[in-house]
Amino acid sequence: MKTLPILRAAAVRLGSAAVVLLCVATVAFFLVRLSGDPVKVLLPPDATAAQEATLRASLGLDRPLAVQYLDYLWGLPRLDFGTSLFYDQPVATVLLERLPATLELAAAALAVALLIAVPAGILAAVRRGRAGDTGVMAGVLIGQSTPPFWVGILLILVFAVQFRILPASGYGTAAHLVLPAVTLAIYSVAVIARLLRSALIDVLGADYIRTARAKGLGTGAVVLRHGLRNASLPVITVVGLEVGSLLGGAILTEQVFAWPGVGRLTVEAVANRDFPLVQATVLFFAATFVLVNLLVDLSYTLLDPRVRVAE
Amino acid sequence: MARPADRITRRDALRLGGATLSALALPGLLAGCGGAAAGGGSDILRLAQSADPQTLDPQKQGDMVSMNVLVNIFDTLTAATPQNTIGPGLALSWTALDPKTWRFRLRRGVAFHNGEPCGAEAVKFSIERLLDPETRSPIVELRFVEGATVVDPYTVDLHTSEPDPILPAKVSLFGGVILPPKLLAETPPEEFARAPVGTGPFVFESWRRAHEVRLRANTDHWNGPPGVGGLVFRPMPNAASSLAAMQSDELDIVTGLTPDAALQLDGYPGMRIESHPGIRTAYLSLDTEDGPLRHRKVRQALNHAVNVPLLIEAVLDGKARELPTMIPRESFGFDKAVEPYTRDVGTAKRLLADAGYPDGFATTITASNEDANVAEAISGLLAEAGVRAKVALLDPGTYSTRLTSANKRALGPIYLAASTGWTMDGQSLVQSNVRSDRRQSRWDSAEADALIDAQEQSVDPEEREEAFAALQRLLKKEAPFVFLYQLDNIYARNARPRWEPGVTGSLTMASAELEEA
Repeated sequence: MKTLPILRAAAVRLGSAAVVLLCVATVAFFLVRLSGDPVKVLLPPDATAAQEATLRASLGLDRPLAVQYLDYLWGLPRLDFGTSLFYDQPVATVLLERLPATLELAAAALAVALLIAVPAGILAAVRRGRAGDTGVMAGVLIGQSTPPFWVGILLILVFAVQFRILPASGYGTAAHLVLPAVTLAIYSVAVIARLLRSALIDVLGADYIRTARAKGLGTGAVVLRHGLRNASLPVITVVGLEVGSLLGGAILTEQVFAWPGVGRLTVEAVANRDFPLVQATVLFFAATFVLVNLLVDLSYTLLDPRVRVAE
Repeated sequence: MARPADRITRRDALRLGGATLSALALPGLLAGCGGAAAGGGSDILRLAQSADPQTLDPQKQGDMVSMNVLVNIFDTLTAATPQNTIGPGLALSWTALDPKTWRFRLRRGVAFHNGEPCGAEAVKFSIERLLDPETRSPIVELRFVEGATVVDPYTVDLHTSEPDPILPAKVSLFGGVILPPKLLAETPPEEFARAPVGTGPFVFESWRRAHEVRLRANTDHWNGPPGVGGLVFRPMPNAASSLAAMQSDELDIVTGLTPDAALQLDGYPGMRIESHPGIRTAYLSLDTEDGPLRHRKVRQALNHAVNVPLLIEAVLDGKARELPTMIPRESFGFDKAVEPYTRDVGTAKRLLADAGYPDGFATTITASNEDANVAEAISGLLAEAGVRAKVALLDPGTYSTRLTSANKRALGPIYLAASTGWTMDGQSLVQSNVRSDRRQSRWDSAEADALIDAQEQSVDPEEREEAFAALQRLLKKEAPFVFLYQLDNIYARNARPRWEPGVTGSLTMASAELEEA
C-alpha cells in the first residue's frame, strides 16, 4: 500500500513537468523567432530577395506562425523536433550525436566534484573554526569565484603546454576528459562543499550525535554514520541541481576545450538562428532540470523516512 | 501489495549511491595514464578552423569553413592559381560562345574516389542538382545559370539568363564543385553528406561532428598525389585554446586568426605567426539619402578624417592594406591609378564647414560585435574632425538580418561592412551595394548604375576593365562609402608545415608539405 502515494505523487509531478515543458517549448519557439532570420544567416549578403524567398519557402518558414507553431507542437509528443536548418539533418540526430560527449563530461565532472567536495566539506565541518576549515573554505571560495574559461586556459597551459601530460583539447580518450572535467567541477565543488559543511555543523550539534558520542562511538563513526547521513538531504538536493547545471552549463568549458557537446551546439544553433535546433536544445535543458528535480524529490522518501509524500 | 524485498530501502539507495559514485570516479582516475595525443612526426597535417563544417554535401553549404574542408575532397571546374588568377580545375579551358553561353572543355581520365568516371554528364548533373529547389542550396552565385547541356563526353555548355562574364570565376569554389551522379542515384543525400565522394586530392576518411574531419591523400589524383599523407580539420572555437593545442603539438596550423589573437601570441616558442595578403575588404556604408551624409563634401570629409594607415597600424597590428576604394588589389578591375584619400583632419574640418557643419554632427556607426575594436577606433578618428559617432554593436546574427533587410536604414546612417570577393573579380565587391536598385545600395547615381551594367553585361575583359576604372574614380569622387582596407589572412603554424595560401584564404592543402620530423 505504501508504494501508491509515491506513484500518485510521481504522476502529479509528471503532469506538472509536462506543463512546464510545454511552456518552455512555447517561449523558446517565439523568442528565437524574435531574434533574427535564419535565411539571412544561411545565405550570403549578396543573395537576391528572390533567392531568399525560395529558400524560405523550401524551409517552410513562409507559413503562418500559428501553423508553424502547431506543427512544432504536433511533433513534440512523437519526439519529432524537425530538421536543423543549418545542418540539414533531423534535429534529434544532431542532438543525439552530441549527447554522449556532454553526458560523459557531466558525469566525470560530478565525480570529480564529489570526490573533492565531500572530504573537504567534512574536514571543514569537523575542524570548524580551525586552520583546516579556513583553508578549505578559502580554497573553495577562490574556486567559486574564478570563471571556468580562465581556469580552463590555466590548466591547459600548465598540464598540456608546460608538462605535456594531458591533451590541450579534443575528445576521444579518457585523458581528454580530465582537464574539462576538473574545470567544470570546480564551481560545483564550492557549492557542494559549503553546503555540506553547514549541514554537517548543524547535525553535529544535535542531541542524537551527543548520544552517539556518549555511547562511546569514535569520531569517524559518529561523523560518517550518524552525521553525514543526516546531513545528506540538503546536499542531495544541491547535487541534483548541480547535475542540471553540469549538463547545461558546460558551454564555456566546451568552448575552451573544443569539446563536442550539447553546450557548444546550443551556442552555434543560436548564432545560426537555427530555430528547430534552438527549440530542441532549450527543451532538452529544461527537461533535464525537470527530471533531475523529480528524481531528487522522489529520492527524499527513500532516504528519509520522515519525509512522506503529501497525499 | 509489494513485499518488503521488492522495495528499495534507504539503505539500498545509499549503497547504490556509493557504488555509482565510485564507478563515476573511475574514468577520472584512469585518465591520468593516457598522455597527450600523438600526431607530431607523422605525415598528417592537422589544421584548426573556428567551426565545424555545416555539412559535407558541397551543395548544401555556403560558408567558407565548410568549403575549406570540401575543397580538398572535391575538385571545382576552375580554380584559383597561386598568382591569384582563375586557372584550370576539372575544366582545362573555357570560352564564351555568346554572352549567355559558356563552354567548358574538361580534363580527360578523371575519376571519382569510388572509380566512377567524371565528365560532361557529371558536370550537367551537378549544375542541375544545385539549381533544383529540392536541394535547398544556399549557394547563390549561379543565379543566372539556367541549365547545362552536354556537347560531347568532355565538353559542356552552361546557359545563363543574363550575361555572366565572371561565371568561370564563380565555378572556382562553391557552385563549381562536381559530384558523382551514379553514386548519388544510389545513395540517399543524408548518407552522402556524411561520407562524401569527390575527385579531389584527398579522400574522405571519417567525420566526428564537432571533433574532427579526417582525409587521406588521393594518390591517383590527376594532379599527382598531394604533398602530405592526410589532413585533419579540427573545429576550435576558442583561439587561445587552439594555440595552446598547437604548443602541445596537437595541431600544425591554426587558421583564421584575428590580428588581436595573433598579436597576443607573437614570440611564443615554436610558433610562427604568418600574415599573407588577403582580399577581405572592409568599408563603411553611408546613407547618402538622409541627413548630413546627403552632402558629398561631408562624405569626403569622413574619408579624409578616417586615418586608415593609422587604423591599420594601431588596431590591426599592420595586418591589412589600405584601399583607395572597395575593389581589392588582386581583383580583376582594380585600378592602381586611383589613389587613396589623403588623411588630414584639417581638410575634413574644412569640407564639413563648407557643407554647413562647422561644428560637425552627431551620428551612429553600427557594427557586428566581432568588429568592435575597429568601429570604436573609427569613432575616435571621426571625433577629431568633430563628428560624434556613437558605436552601436550587434551580434552577428542580428547584424546580418538587418544588413539585407528591406529597410535600407536598418543598420543606421553608417555601418561597418566587410566582404570577401573570392571570385577575385571586382564585380563581387560592388554587386549588391552600388547599383541603386540593389539591396544594400544607399546611393542613387545614374552614372554608377550605367558603369555597373557595363561591367556586368560585357564578356569583353577590356570593356569591363574600363568600366571598373571609371567606377573607381566615381566612387572616390562621390564617396558613397568610407573606404578602408583589405585584411590579411593570418595563420599560426609550428615548424613542420610548408604552405603558401592564396588571397581568398581558402584552405586548398594539396600543395602543402611537411618537413621531416
